[in-house]
Amino acid sequence: MAKLVQLIGVQHNPLLYRRMLRAEEHPGMVEARAGYERMRQKLAAARPDVLLVIANDHLSQWFTDNMPAFLVGKAPRARGPFPHETEEFGLPTYTARVDVDVARAIIEGGFERGVDFAYSDEFVLDHAFTLPLTFLRPEMDLPIVPLFTNVMAPPVPPSSRFYQVGEAVRAIVDELPADLRVAVLASGHLSVEIGGPRPMREAPDPEFDARVVAHVREGNVAGLLRDSSWERMLRAGNFTAGLLNFVALVGVAGGQPATAADCVFLRTSSTPFFTWDLEEAEA
Amino acid sequence: MSRYEVNKVVREMVMQRASLERFLADPHGFLADRPLEAEERRALAERDFGALYAMGAHPFLLWGWANRVAGIDRETLLDRYAEAVRPHGYPDFAT
Repeated sequence: MAKLVQLIGVQHNPLLYRRMLRAEEHPGMVEARAGYERMRQKLAAARPDVLLVIANDHLSQWFTDNMPAFLVGKAPRARGPFPHETEEFGLPTYTARVDVDVARAIIEGGFERGVDFAYSDEFVLDHAFTLPLTFLRPEMDLPIVPLFTNVMAPPVPPSSRFYQVGEAVRAIVDELPADLRVAVLASGHLSVEIGGPRPMREAPDPEFDARVVAHVREGNVAGLLRDSSWERMLRAGNFTAGLLNFVALVGVAGGQPATAADCVFLRTSSTPFFTWDLEEAEA
Repeated sequence: MSRYEVNKVVREMVMQRASLERFLADPHGFLADRPLEAEERRALAERDFGALYAMGAHPFLLWGWANRVAGIDRETLLDRYAEAVRPHGYPDFAT
């Protein structure tokens, strides 16, 4: 029987990559870099066989000509990011094998549990996938299963739906026949403003961010769902909906309090580190 | 109003350098065969970020495009862009 061994949630601001390389020049960035390093160590220590990654595309691939709410990538190999992202943010290429059996089991298990996942045999991993993977698994040796969400193009499913999808993933992993150690990485955002009227130089609502981090720390699902309604998130910043990827992760955790939920409040964007060490919890 | 068509052409310019260069060389020529309203065409050709934002163009795409077509340094753009969109608050950008 498969088991969930480690859940991790981090943010994916693409500006982090260059800033992290020269962390000493940016206030708070040394601490943020240490946080990502801690997450890398956690993931390695959990010795997973496969890593499910919950993240969103940024309209580069899934666009409103045909927009999936939740999509599982099941091509045998995955690669990213997009050339225009590499050009703008200096991001390196990331490649990984995909565990196609697990991908298929998630799709089919979803159908049986009321989640009609879209799926794809040809896709590119957006920076929301490659940036955390570059920090957390630089070896590029761990098979992944990418789960794409739509948090960018309204109408977006309500936060309760993201939570349910997370719960479904948890149930599906529990019933996988293979004897696999499964880790889950969610890549999202706290409050963020892009292309709106508020200054993009700073995190728009650190108070909101602190409250959300506390919800995750305490396993306060009701509070988290309330604060992740579309209208509430919009008030915190126009693209705060990246938070929904963390809501899905809390669903995977079954609403348990996180083992640790910290946040480096960088001026540019609050940088959370969420972990559930599930084997320790068992012991 | 064809919010989808505006987003589509903006996205194309963000993702494809050849399209961006055609637009920069001849905005009206590049936009000529796109199914856009006259005001959308004007706002795109004139890089009127405020008008496009007010129409409900997707803010993420619009900002990515602004970075590629404004022809000014990022810090100046951050201020000018925010000034242009501020009067319009948060228009619905659902398609």
